[in-house]
Amino acid sequence: MMRYIFTLSRYALLPIVFLLTNSCGKDFLDLKPYESLAVEEATKTLDDLDVLLRGVYDQYQNSDYYGRYFILVPDVMSDDVKQNASANRAKEWAEYNGNALDFIPEEIWTEVYEAINRANTVINANIAVPPTAETRKNQIVGEALALRALSHFDLVRIYAQHYGYTDDNSHLGIPYVKEFDQNAEPARMSVREVYDNILADLDEAIRLMSDEFDANRMNKIAAQAILARVYLYMSDWQNAANMATQVIESGVVSLTPTEAYVDAWRSGTPPDGIFSIAFDDIDNNGSNALGRMYIVEGYGDYLPALDLVNLIDSSDVRIQLFKNTGPGGLFGDLRVDKFPSVIGDDDIPVVRLSEIYLIRAEARAMLGDEDGARADVNVIRLRANPNATPITSSGQQLLDDIEREKRIELMFEGHRLWELMRKKRGVYRNDCTSVICEIPYPNDRFILPIPQAEIDANRNMVQNPGY
Amino acid sequence: MKRVLYKVPLLMYLLLCSSWALAQFTVHGKVTSTDGEPLIGATVLLKGTQLGTVTDLDGTFTLEVPTDRGTLVISYTGYETREIEISPQNKEIEVILQFASEALSEVVVVDVGYGTARKEALTGAVTQIRAEKLEQVPFSSFEQTLQGNIAGLQAVMGNGQPGANVSIRIRGQGSISASSEPLYVIDGVPVVSGNLTVNAETSNPLASLNPNDIESVSVLKDAAATAIYGSRGANGVILITTKSGKAGKPKIDVRTMYGFNDWAIPKSKRLRGLSALEYADLYIEGYVNRGRTVEEAIQLFNNDFPDPITGLPAVDITPDGQGGWTLGEVRVDTRWVDEISRIGATQSIDMSVSGGNDLMRYYASGSYFYQQAPIIYSDLERYSSRLNADISPSDRLTITNNFNLSRTQQHGMNDATRWANPMYNSYLLPPTVPIYDAEGNFYAGHRTIMGANNPVGSLSGDDEQTWTQWRIMDNISASYELLKNLAFKSAWSFDFINYQEFYYRNPRYGDGRNVGGLATETQRNILTWIGTQTLRYEFALGGKHHYDLLAGYEATKTSMRTVYAYGQNFPSPQLRLLASASSPQETFSSLSEYAFESMFFRANYNYDYKYYLSASVRRDGSSRFGINNRYGTFWSIGASWRVDQESFLSDSELITALKLRASYGVSGNAGIGNYVHLRTISYSGIDYLSQPGGAPTQIGNSDLTWEKSKSYNIGLDFTILNSLSGTVEYFNRLSDDLLLNVPVSRTTGFRSITKNFGSMRNQGVELTLDYSIVDRPGLRWSIGGNITFLKNRITRLDKPFTADTHDSKRREEGRDYESYYLFDWAGVDPDTGAPLWYTDSTRTETTSNIAEAQRFFTGQTATPKFFGGFNTNFNWKGLSIDAQFTTSWDNWIYDATAWVIQGDGRFTPRSQTNLVLRRWRQPGDMTDVPKFAWGNTSGSNQRGSTRWLHDGTHIRLRNLTIAWRLSQDMLAHIGGVRSARVYLRGTNLWTWTREKDLYLDPETNFSGIVNSPVPNMKTISFGLDLGF
Repeated sequence: MMRYIFTLSRYALLPIVFLLTNSCGKDFLDLKPYESLAVEEATKTLDDLDVLLRGVYDQYQNSDYYGRYFILVPDVMSDDVKQNASANRAKEWAEYNGNALDFIPEEIWTEVYEAINRANTVINANIAVPPTAETRKNQIVGEALALRALSHFDLVRIYAQHYGYTDDNSHLGIPYVKEFDQNAEPARMSVREVYDNILADLDEAIRLMSDEFDANRMNKIAAQAILARVYLYMSDWQNAANMATQVIESGVVSLTPTEAYVDAWRSGTPPDGIFSIAFDDIDNNGSNALGRMYIVEGYGDYLPALDLVNLIDSSDVRIQLFKNTGPGGLFGDLRVDKFPSVIGDDDIPVVRLSEIYLIRAEARAMLGDEDGARADVNVIRLRANPNATPITSSGQQLLDDIEREKRIELMFEGHRLWELMRKKRGVYRNDCTSVICEIPYPNDRFILPIPQAEIDANRNMVQNPGY
Repeated sequence: MKRVLYKVPLLMYLLLCSSWALAQFTVHGKVTSTDGEPLIGATVLLKGTQLGTVTDLDGTFTLEVPTDRGTLVISYTGYETREIEISPQNKEIEVILQFASEALSEVVVVDVGYGTARKEALTGAVTQIRAEKLEQVPFSSFEQTLQGNIAGLQAVMGNGQPGANVSIRIRGQGSISASSEPLYVIDGVPVVSGNLTVNAETSNPLASLNPNDIESVSVLKDAAATAIYGSRGANGVILITTKSGKAGKPKIDVRTMYGFNDWAIPKSKRLRGLSALEYADLYIEGYVNRGRTVEEAIQLFNNDFPDPITGLPAVDITPDGQGGWTLGEVRVDTRWVDEISRIGATQSIDMSVSGGNDLMRYYASGSYFYQQAPIIYSDLERYSSRLNADISPSDRLTITNNFNLSRTQQHGMNDATRWANPMYNSYLLPPTVPIYDAEGNFYAGHRTIMGANNPVGSLSGDDEQTWTQWRIMDNISASYELLKNLAFKSAWSFDFINYQEFYYRNPRYGDGRNVGGLATETQRNILTWIGTQTLRYEFALGGKHHYDLLAGYEATKTSMRTVYAYGQNFPSPQLRLLASASSPQETFSSLSEYAFESMFFRANYNYDYKYYLSASVRRDGSSRFGINNRYGTFWSIGASWRVDQESFLSDSELITALKLRASYGVSGNAGIGNYVHLRTISYSGIDYLSQPGGAPTQIGNSDLTWEKSKSYNIGLDFTILNSLSGTVEYFNRLSDDLLLNVPVSRTTGFRSITKNFGSMRNQGVELTLDYSIVDRPGLRWSIGGNITFLKNRITRLDKPFTADTHDSKRREEGRDYESYYLFDWAGVDPDTGAPLWYTDSTRTETTSNIAEAQRFFTGQTATPKFFGGFNTNFNWKGLSIDAQFTTSWDNWIYDATAWVIQGDGRFTPRSQTNLVLRRWRQPGDMTDVPKFAWGNTSGSNQRGSTRWLHDGTHIRLRNLTIAWRLSQDMLAHIGGVRSARVYLRGTNLWTWTREKDLYLDPETNFSGIVNSPVPNMKTISFGLDLGF
C-alpha cells in the first residue's frame, strides 16, 4: 500500500504543475458584456442622463404605445373607426369582447410602465453638477418628470374609469410609480390620487424646464398643454382655460396655415405640433406603424366610419385626409390617410396647438364666456375651411359644435373615446361593421382589464370590474 | 492500449508453447466480422488445451494441432465467441464473428466521459448505440436516429427543413426558463449546439457532422453518469466518438445512397387548398351571409380576380335570380399547396479509408450529402471531411489529432403566421390568383389582398434565403503513460463556426414590395477553445480490489460575434448584394462570451468484479453567475452488484446475467444567457432622433447560481436463458433552484427577474427488452424495444404564469409543464351555425359568446404518458430485414395557425383549407365547422381553443430496411472487394394515429405547438456500400 501512495504522491506533482500553467487568472470568469454597462457606470454624468432620457423617448415610439396601439385601441373602441373585414389586430377591443389574457392590455401596460421606469432612472440618478450645469440638469429632469406624468395620465385613462366617474374620484386608478423597486407589488391608487400626482409632476416639470423648444421632445409648452388637457378632464375649467391661454400666448408654436395643413400630415410632421413622437426612415415601426393599420399598403385593418366622414364638409381640407382606394373592400372604399407613410415614418402627435384652442373653447363655454369660446372654435374651424360658416351658436349647441370640431380635428389621434367617457356618453355606431354597435354609458368595458400577468405577479393588484 | 499490452505476453506465450507441440495436423483459417472486415489479433484456441494463436493482419491464422479432431474457440473483444469443430474435412475454415449485441455482451466498452468503461462496470444509466445504426441513414444529422432507439430519450425535429435543429429531452423537461437540452460532447469536447440562426428559422450546428464518421453515441442519463460534467450535466450528456483507424492494411469504404422524399403525412390526410370552383362558391356564400346580394358579391369577385391573359373573371359566376348562383368557366385554378410541393431527393456519397500500424493509425473520410424537402427550394447540402490520426512514437506516448472540416448550406423559408411562410400563405391564397401574369412573370397583381405574395415565385428564385455554416473542429491530445496504468493526458480543442445568413425579398411582391426590395446579410463567428488535463490511474490491490481513479482540470471559453447589415431599394432584381442597395441601410454588431473553469475527480472501485462503487465530484465556476455564487460543486455516488458473479448463480442456466444498480447525485444547469446576473443599462436598438439612447433592460441578480438536478436511479440489467435480455430503470429527477424567469409586477418596468426559484420533478420507468428468437449460424431473428413512462410535475412555483405558447398554456404548481389552458370548444349550434364553447370547467353550459366563456386546464398536455420504440431484426445468410417503430401516447398537439387558415371567413378574402367544405350551411346541419361569412364576427376562430387541439398519439414505422450482403464466395469471384451490401430503406413509411383524420404530423416539438413548418419527410432510399 505504501508503495502506491508513494508513487501517487510522486506523480501528483505533475498535474499540479499543469494546473498552475493551465489555470486561468482570477478574472477568467469575470466577463463583462459588450453591449451594456452596469447601472453605476451608466449614470455618472449629464451626458449619461441625456442618453437615458432619449431611452424614454425611444420607449414612447414603441408600437404598443404612441407608436400604434395606445392610439389605435381607443379609436377602434369608438365610433370614428370601423373594422375592415380582414381585421385581426385589436379586433377584440373593437368588439368589446377582449379579456385579461389578451396581448394588447398586457403590452400597453408593460411598455408604458417601462417608459415610466426609464424616466425614473433619469429622475432619480441624482448627479451632483456645478452651478453652471444646473440649467441643463433641470431641463433633463424636467422632461423626464413631464414624461412620467404623461405616461401615468395615459395609463389612468385606458385602465381606469374617467375622472368624475365617482363623486369623490375614489374609484380604482393605477399605481403611480416614482422609484424602481424590483420587489414592488403596488396596489392601485384612487383616481384622485393619481391625478394629484400627475399635477404635482407637471408643475415641477414646468418649473424646471427652460424655454428651449423642440417639438420632437417634451418641452415646457408641451407640459403646459398636457396640463391644460388634464384640467379639462378634471372639469377644472378655470385652470384649463388659464393653462391654454399660457400656451397660446407664449407664441412658441403657431397654427399651421390652411394651405400647409394637409401637406404637413403627408410629410409626416403633424401640423400645430407642440410635442410629437419622431420617426424617421431608419427608426420606425415598419409594418407595425400606426398608419399601416389603415392604409392599403399596410394591414388595412381599419376604415373610417361614415359617422365621422359625413361630418366633414367637402371643402374642408381635412376631407383630404381620406383616400378613395376604389372598390375592393367589404365595407367601403375610403381609407384613413392621416398617417400615409408606407414605411411607417410619420411622426405621431402627442399634443397639438389646435387641441389647446378647442380645450379653451370648451372651458370658456363652461365658464360662461361664450364669445371667447366661439372665437376659439372658429379659429380651428376656419383654418380648416376658410369658406365655412363661423359658429354662432350658444348653450348646449355651442358645446356640441365644439365637440364636433374637436372630433374632426383630432380624429385618429386616440381622443374620441375619452372625450365621450368624460362627458358620460356611450358609443353609438351607425356605420357599424362590428358585432356590437351600441355601447351605453356607464360601461365596465370602456376600459381595458389589468393584464392577467400583472394580477398573477402582484398580490395587491385588483382587476377592473367586469373582467 | 491496454488490450494490446495484454495481448503481447499472450502471443509470446502461445508462440512459445505451440512451438513445443508436436505438429501433426494443420488448420488454416480466416476470421472476419459480419461486415467482411478481417479481424486482426483474434484469439484462436484449441478447446481444453493451451494451444493457440492469434490472427495476423489479414485476419488469417495457421494452427498446428496434435490430432485431426477437436474444437477451436475463436474470440475477439467486442464480438461473440464461436466454437468450430475441426476435422480432416474441415481444416480450411472461415469464421465470421458476430458483433456482440450490446445488452448481452460483457465486453462492450462504453464512452463515459474522460475515458471509457466496460459496460458491466457501470453503476449509472448509460445507453450506447453504435455505428451500424447511424450509418447511411437519410437524415441530415445523427440525433434524428436516436428517436425510439434509447429509452428515456426523446428526439424531435419540429420542422421538416433539412438541417433543422433537433431538440432532445433526456428523461423529460428539466427546466422552465433555462435550457433543457443535453450537453453534446464530440471526442471529449463539449461543443456548440442549439439553434444558430439570427433571422432564419432553424439551423443545427450538429448537422455539420457526417453521421457516417461516428463510431458510437453514448447517452448518459442519470447523475452517476453525468455528474462528471457537473454544471452542464443536468439535462443528460450525449457523447459522440468518431471513428479511428486500427492497425492493418488500408481499408477503403465507399457508400452511396439515393432517395426520394415526400410529405410524411399521406395525401389523403393532409390539408389541401381549395379548387377555384370551391373557392368561388365560398366567396359568394361568404358575402351573402354578410348581407350582400349575389350580384354585389359577383362584382367584388370579378374585381378581385381577373384572369391576366383574357382580362375576364377567373371564374364565371352568374346569379340564378332566386338568391342562388351558378358557376361557369374556370380560367384560373391554382393549387398553391401542390405547386410548392415536390418529391425531393436525398443523395449521399461517402468515402473513407482507415488503417495504420503500431506507430500510426488513421481514419480519413470525405462526404457529400444533399437533401431536398418535399417543398420546393427547401434543401440542405453538406460537404465534410475528417482526418483522425493516432501516433505512438513510443509505447508510452500517444498523440491524437481529430480534424473535421465541413460546409453546410441550407435554403429555406419562414414559418408561422407570416406572409413570407409559403406553408401558410399557400392555403390562404385563393386558387383564383394566377401564378403568372400575361408577360410570364410571377403574378403580383393582387397587391391589395394578401400582400401580393406569390409563394411559387418566391421559392423559384425571386426571393432568396440561404444560410451557410462552415465548421472546423480540431482536437489534439497527448497521452503519456507515466507508470504502468498511470496516464496523463492533455487535450486541446478548437471549435470554430462561421455562420452566414442571406435574405433577399424582391421589389415586386411580398415583404420587399414597399421598399424596392430588401436584403439582409448576417455573419456570425463562434469560437470555442477547451483545455482539459487529466490523470488516470488504474491499479489493483491484493488481486481483488480494483481501482480506477481520474482527476482533471478543464477551462473553456466561447465567444460569439455577430455582424448584421440591412439594405433596401435595389436597382435591379439581379443585384442582390448590399453593395447595390441604396439608403437607408442599417448595420449592427454584437459580441458575447462565456467561460467555465472546472476541476473534477472520479473514483471507481470494484471488489472481485462483483461489487462496484463509483463516486465523482466536480467543482465548476461560470461567468454566467453572480459574483456571490459563481462556483458550484456537483457530485454523485453509485453502486452495483453483479449478482450473476455470485456462486449461487454462476452455474444457473436460467439467469445468465443479473446486475443491480443504484445511484444518487447532483448535477447542474447553466443554460441561461451570458450576462443575466448583471444589472445593466443597455443601448442596443435604443435611440431617438438619430442620437443614442439607453435604458435599464435587466434587473440582474448577483446571487444567481446553478440550477441543480438531484436524481435517483435504480436499475436492473438481466439476461435470461441467454436469449432475453433487458434493463428496467426507475428514475426520479428533481430540478431544484430552477433558473427561473420569475414574473415581477410589470409596474417595475420589467417582466421578470431570473432567480433560483421553484422546482420540477420528472419521474418514470424505462424498460428495454431484447429477445433473440433464433440465433444460429446463417439465421438470426430478434425483436426488441424500449418504453418510457414519464410523469412531469411543477412542484414549486409561487406565481402561475401564462406561457408564450400561442395563448395555449399556463404553468402552475402541481401540473405538468406542458398543460394546456384553453377555451373549451363545444362544437357548432346545428340551428344557427354559431360556434359554441363551454362556459367553464364544469362543461355544463355552452355559449356562443366567447366573452362568456372561461379558459381552464382542459386536462391535456403535450407531454406523452409514454413513448418508445420497438424493432425487429431478421438475418438469413446475407439477407437482412430491419424494422423500427416509434410511438408516443397522449401527447396533445396544438395547431397554432388554424385560427387563420381555418378562420371561417374572418380574413376576407383569404382562402381556407378543405375543412371548410364541411361548414354549416342550413339549420339542422350537424358539423364541427361553423357558418362561413366574410369578416366573420362570431369569434369562432378564437385562438387558444380546444378546437385546434389534436391527439398526437401515434405509431410510426420509422425505418424499414431490406439489405443484402454479398457472401465471401461471391466477393471472391468479383475480386478486390472486401465487402458489398445493397439495401432499400423506407423512413416514416407508415403512421397510425389514434385521431383518425389527423391532418398534422404527430411528431412535433416538445411544446406540441405546430406553426405551419416545412412538413416532415417520408423517404425511400437505396444504397450500395462497398469495402475494398
